[in-house]
Formats: sequence, C-alpha cells, structure tokens
Amino acid sequence: MIGLIVRRLLQMPVILLVIYTITFLLAWSLPGESLLNDEGRRPPQSVIDQMNREYDLDNPYRFYANYLYNASGVRWVVAGVTGGERPRWIFNFGPSFKYDDWSVNELIGSSLPVSIVLGLSAIILALVIGLTAGIIGALRPNSLADLVTLLVALVGISLPSFVTGTVLLVIFSVWLRVFAIAQWGSLQDMILPAVTLSLPFAAYIARLTRMGMIDALGADYIRTARAKGASNMSLHLRHALKNAFLPVLSYLGPAAAYAMTGSFVVERVFNVPGIGQHFVSAVQNKDLFLIMGVVLVFATMLIFFNLAVDLMYRWIDPRIEQ
Amino acid sequence: MGKLIAIFALLVGVLALTLAMDRSIPEADFTYIQPQDIFTLDPQAMSYNQDLRMAYAIYEPLAHWDNEVATFDIIPAAAERWEISDDGLTYTFHIRDAARWSNGDPVLAEDFRYAWQRAIMPDSVADYSGLFFVIDGAEAFFDWRTEALEAYAERPASQRTREAALALREETNQRFADTVGIRTLDDHTLEVRLARPTAYFLDLCAFGPFCPVHPETVEKFVTVKPESGRLDTDKRWTKPWNLVCNGPYVVEQWQFKRGMFLRRNPQYWDQDAIVSDTIRTLPVQDGNTSILAYETGAASWHSDVTVKYIADMLAQKREGKRDDIHALSTFGTYFWSFNCRPKLSDGRDNPFHDAGVRRAFALSVDKQAIVEKVKRSGEKVAHVLIPPGSIGGFESPQGLRLDPVRAREELAKAGWADRDGNGVPENESGVEFPVVEMLCSTGSYHEDIAMAMGRMFTEVLGVRTRIEAKESKIYKDDLKQKDYMMARGGWFGDYGDPTTFLDLHRTGDGNNDRGYSDPVFDDLLARAAQEPDVDKRMTLLEEAERYTMEDTLPVLPIWHYNYYYMFEPPLDDEGHVRPGGLVGISYHPRLVQYMWKLGVLKEGDEVRVTEMGVFAQ
Repeated sequence: MIGLIVRRLLQMPVILLVIYTITFLLAWSLPGESLLNDEGRRPPQSVIDQMNREYDLDNPYRFYANYLYNASGVRWVVAGVTGGERPRWIFNFGPSFKYDDWSVNELIGSSLPVSIVLGLSAIILALVIGLTAGIIGALRPNSLADLVTLLVALVGISLPSFVTGTVLLVIFSVWLRVFAIAQWGSLQDMILPAVTLSLPFAAYIARLTRMGMIDALGADYIRTARAKGASNMSLHLRHALKNAFLPVLSYLGPAAAYAMTGSFVVERVFNVPGIGQHFVSAVQNKDLFLIMGVVLVFATMLIFFNLAVDLMYRWIDPRIEQ
Repeated sequence: MGKLIAIFALLVGVLALTLAMDRSIPEADFTYIQPQDIFTLDPQAMSYNQDLRMAYAIYEPLAHWDNEVATFDIIPAAAERWEISDDGLTYTFHIRDAARWSNGDPVLAEDFRYAWQRAIMPDSVADYSGLFFVIDGAEAFFDWRTEALEAYAERPASQRTREAALALREETNQRFADTVGIRTLDDHTLEVRLARPTAYFLDLCAFGPFCPVHPETVEKFVTVKPESGRLDTDKRWTKPWNLVCNGPYVVEQWQFKRGMFLRRNPQYWDQDAIVSDTIRTLPVQDGNTSILAYETGAASWHSDVTVKYIADMLAQKREGKRDDIHALSTFGTYFWSFNCRPKLSDGRDNPFHDAGVRRAFALSVDKQAIVEKVKRSGEKVAHVLIPPGSIGGFESPQGLRLDPVRAREELAKAGWADRDGNGVPENESGVEFPVVEMLCSTGSYHEDIAMAMGRMFTEVLGVRTRIEAKESKIYKDDLKQKDYMMARGGWFGDYGDPTTFLDLHRTGDGNNDRGYSDPVFDDLLARAAQEPDVDKRMTLLEEAERYTMEDTLPVLPIWHYNYYYMFEPPLDDEGHVRPGGLVGISYHPRLVQYMWKLGVLKEGDEVRVTEMGVFAQ
C-alpha cells in the first residue's frame, strides 16, 4: 500500500510536466492576442509590446520556463531559502487577462469548491440511484421493473444534459416554482443541477451493478452461502453486491473527476459559478494563465482521484494486494 | 457492506464541509441581471458598459450627465461648479466640501490628479488612455514614459535594481507634475489645461475612466518591478474589504460569477438622490436561463437580453401579450467594413480600394429588408455612422440608400461591367470581379446578414460572394491583418462628440480596421480640431461624416444597435403609478443608467415623468 502511494507520488511530477508541456503547446498556438479584449479599444502597439514582454508573451521559451517556475512552487521555495520576497501563493498561476481583478488562484479558489460540491452531490446521487436500480434489475431480470430501469438508464445516458437540465428547470422552477433559477448558495439551489449532472452517471452505474450482480449471483460461492443458510438479504447485499461493486468503484474515480469539471453545460443552464466554464471560456479568450492553471489543477485532481480509488479498491478487496 | 458505507460517509462528509464554508449573497431591495460578471472595479482600467455602470454607482466623477433630458446636459457631481477660461483651454473645478470617501476622508483635488495620472501611464493596458490626451502634455508624457521603460528594460541587469526602479518612478512623477496640465491649486480646486480647445472635455469628465480613486488605498498595493521598472498594482485593492468609494454605494460583497452586493454609502453627500438602499447584481451567462430567472422574479431588471427569440418577444408586446420587454436605441452602429487598401493580403489587386466600387456595393443593399426580415428586432435602419439625434447640435447627412440603377452605374464607372455576358462583371482587361469574401464571426446573426447581403450584391451587381465565418479570435486577427474584403463590424461611441465615431477613419488610428486613409478626410478632422468656434467645428465634422457616408464609404452602415431590457413598466396605460414597476431607466441613446436612480415602485410612491423616462420623485 505504502509502496503504491510512493510510486504514484513520484510519477506525478513527470505526468504533470508532460501535461503542462502539451497544454502549453496547444494554448500557445491559439490565434489572437491574449492581452486585448475583443470588443475594446486598441492601445498603441508600443504599449502592447511592452506588456507582452512583461508577461513573457513575446517568447515561448521564457514563458514556458517562467510559468513553470511560478506554478510549480519552485519560486516560492527559492524565495524562502534566499530570503527574497515570497509570492502570495505557493503555486502561483499568475493573473487572469480577461478577469482583470482576479488572479487565476482566486478564480480557481472560488470556482473549484463549487464544482466539488456539485460533482460530489451528483456522484452520491448517482450511486444511490444507480445501485438501487441495478440491484432491482439484477434480482428480477427482464421483469417490468428491470425494463423500466433499463429505459430510464438509456434516457439518462443518451439525453444531453442541456435537454434534461432545461426540462427540469421548466418543470420545477417555472411551473411548480419549487426552486429559484440562476442562484447559487443554498442546498436548494444545488438540487436540480446535481440531479441533471448525476443522470448519465446513475445510468451507467445501474448497468454496471446489474451486470456484476447477475454474474455474482450465478457464482459458486453464492450457492455455497445459500446452502449454509444465509438469508436472501445478506446474500444479495453482503456477498453479491460486494463483488458487483468493484467495477463501479473503478468507474467512480474518473467519474468523480469528470463530474467535478466536465459540467460546463450544467453550469451554464443552471448558472452555477463552477470551474467548468473556464475550460471553455479561457480558451476562447486565450487567457493563457487561466488555461494552464485549470488544466494543471484538474490533472492533479485526476491523479489523486485515481490513487484514492486504487487504495479503496485494495481496502475493499484484499485479494488485489497480492 | 460497512466499507461501502464508510466510503459513502466520506463523500457526504466532504460535501457537508465544503457547503458549510460557503457564504451566499443576501437579498437586496433591487436586483438586476447582466450576462457577464463585472470584469474590474478599477475605473481607469474599465472598458465594458456594465463595468462603467458600476463605476458610476461606487465612484463619483467631477460631473454627471443629466440622463433625464434629451440634451444630456453636463451637471455638477463631485465638483460643485467649474470655470472655463475664455480661450477654452483652462478648466478650474471646485470640488464640493461635503464630498467624502466611504472611510470618511474628504474627496480632494489630488485624488483626481492621482487617478488621472494612473490612466496616462502605459504601465497597464488601459483602453481609454487616449481620451486623456486632450490634456496638455499628456500624450507627450505617455510617450516619454513608454520610451523610458523601453530604455530601462535594455539596461544591464546590474543596473535594474529596486533603487533604480524607484528612482525612475520619482523621475516620472516629477515629470508628470512639470509637464502635464493637471494641477491642484488647493485641496478642493483642480486646474486642467488642455492641449487645444476641446468642446467635449466636460463630457469626458463624466466618463468612467475619469473617476477618482482613493490614493492611500491604491498606493498600499503598488510596487515597482526592479526587472522592468514598471508599476505593478495588485488588484486586491478592489476587493470589497479594501475598496474605498466616493459614490452613492459601497461594495459589500463580490463573489466571482455569483454577483455583487452594494449598500448605500452613508458618507455620500447627496443621500436624497438614492432610491434603493441595497442593490444586487446577478450575472447569468446563458440567455434562456437569464430570461427564466427574470420571469420567475429573481430580478427586477434584465439589462441585456440577447436571445434569438427577441423578435418573438417584441411581437408579443405589439399584440399586447406582454409589456416587460423594451427595445432602446443606442449610441452604436452595426456596419460592414470594406478593406480599403490597394492590395489584398495575398497580393491581388483589391477592387474595394476604389471608392466607386464601395459606393456601388452600398447602393445595392436593401437595409430595410435586412432589418425587417433577417434581424427582425426593430432596429433603426442606418445610412450614416453616427446615430442621428444622439449628439446635440450635430446634423446627420443623408447617406446612401438602395438604388440598383445607380449602383450598376457606379460599378461601370469604376471599370467593371459584364463584357462577356455571363452575368459577372469584368474589368477592361477581361479579369472577372473576384469572389467577394465576407468575413464574420461565428455564433451570432452575422452569417445570416452576410447571406442576405451577398444575395443582394449578386442580384444587383452580378458579383459572386463567399461567406467566411470564423471563430471570434481568428476573425479579430484577420481583421487586424486586413486579411478580408468585407467584414462585419460595429462601433459604440464613448463620449458625446462626433469624433468618437469619426476617429475610426483617421489614418493610422488603432481601431481603423479598414486601412482607410484619405487626406481630404484627415484634413477635415485636423481643421475641426483646431477650430475654436463650436458651430464652425460642428460644420466641419458634419462634412467629414457626409464625405465618408456619401462619397468614400469605408464602412457600410446597416442599422443602429438596439439594447433590449426587461422590466415592469412603471406606469399603467392610464399613466398611473404601478407598484412593482421599475423607475429610473433612461431612454437616451447614450444609455447611461445611474444605479442610484433605479428602484422598484411601492404602493403610494410618486414619480416624475421626463422626456427620457420615468424617475422616482
């Protein structure tokens, strides 16, 4: 277990460096000027040149090296050692060009918790809905209940969230007036976006559970357990589900990361101030520091989630350790 | 099973913890929706309409516009009065004794001098630095500083120390004091000397970037960078817990993309003018969601409706089915640019270099049909660049209207006629008129407009067209490189003078995307700039507008932009006050909404009806 953690943590800088390099190459080749807003007035060229130099936008090599120096925390450490002036953040992602009054750190700091809350609630909901539906389907295969869950799962997977989101919004917020629109702050405001976001995950989990359960229920050890007189309840939940859950668990890692960041559409429909918007708008605005910042943070998150899932895997199923 | 529950509990725990750390924005007396969050609260760095509107809420410039009257007069604000010297060059502003910053400090002449110096420095990219160049010495100072920074950056590293940077800053401040025509005569008197008489200088004094800032607050966040010698201002000074304001409101909360909460500034000198005690902004990016939010009562004003079904909403209004959508004409014009350079970017001859060809194209567009059948949202057709009636004392010319016969004549006079009978015009050496590439950005109505115009060009002139719809950054790049033949464009005026539009056509102007360069036009502008007589100056500018809109056509205006608001009307059909209605919206095309005038009517409130709107009593 410790070995795994150490190995993964040692791999992390290498993976991040590769991601950083690829993102840098892609972002640098975007057309357009980073510093200018598209609809604004154009300052004199000499001023633009100076500002480009200030932010290393005139030289890709310098940009690549300096940004890495700041974002990786090396500058912070070096400043500490040499007694120089320490930057405000250990991992300093620089200013945002588009949102003048915010640094990339502040932007991520304000939007990442929102996305984590939304993503986690969606994953929890997806687990509850998906496991329940999957177990029902597995216990009575091809029954009406199974067909209904299959249908719901299909809809959940195939309908894009801007459709499900808008439908939910119109039903619950416009007709029934249960929830406020375009607000973020209370638990209530979270329900609709979380449900919308959870649907595709729930559908997938339901199918995974159902398959795993049906496989497990046919296995020898279940017959043995039944012969030993285990109750139905304990048979299904203790013995079968435990094995059927493993594929779900391995799916949860990427799913959680995806739910926390891939929610651009849901964020837009429900006006959620999360991090997903930056993945799209930062690229449209060529907001270089913001692009690099969100990608690095997301990559780090993904690595940690995968590690967490692997650890849980071993914890639940000790066979894997050997 | 226990382990599964443990994992589940862990997830719920993280969720609860993150939720508990959150702080939401409270309800306000008046909430309004805008599509974007505020970009900056630094007045000298602002350029977006919504940011400028916020500037007027939290800062008070020397003067305000009277947005309740059609003449849009300049009225005193932080300055209680001012004198203008007979030669029109020196302005002396007397700042009112009662004006206070939100921390209780008096508002001083120095605060304006300090803020304006920030704007006249190239250290940060400020969109509106150029507007300050009407002040004597400002442009020369800006250039001097730019060169000084350039020279500093070329020094060897050993000479780029903190001390050297501080010395440069000292020298810069001294030079500003010595050469730029801004002086504080005493604590409450500001003297501004202009480079030449500028009829619209007072109008500029009411504009957002001319707002003061609180020097002690900003100065805490300013550092000099030893590597480049530049001043670096940490934008944390605009955070609610740092920001000191002199306007009717103070910022109490600001959360990115969640909105801002403003409260009445108890230190503001004119408390009676403030209608709503608290204001909340609600940024909603998605057009549909924003309309649903407005309709379910999340806000009393939607400040920018951009959905595609505006046309249907306006139709519903005409049929009496709804009364909360409003089209307001603005200080802006939608147009298509012609590339005016002799050669295209790929080296071919550019047919649009010939003003006759440009006139022919302009004469073949049925703008009425485009506005009514394609755009469908009630804009006014434009034949000129400057929206008629938006600037007092300026008479707009006629411009060019649809005239297919004259269009073909113009094209023939320019040497293009269908010589081989295939319908496409050729020049004298038999070369066909090149396919007209119409450049626009994707994701909006521009492609529809291009398609409609392209058909009109083909029908009237026989030329072939091709639409080049590109992502907006690429479109912008192509525009800058002049890599196009025709391109969509638009412009909103900044201040109440024709030059805010006409400067677009000036040779070498930073926003002259057309590469238009005409000595006759440049001369008209230069003469107007030197003309001390107000009426004669206007006549010269009218001629400049006529020259570009009837003779040389660097741009082909299509319509004057509308803005679309949603709010409950303050009066019912009989003219009685309607509780729940919104007061304070000005219909003047400059579209300046002062937030302290906005508020939701309650039972028993009285209102004042002026020529530009309904305002609280």
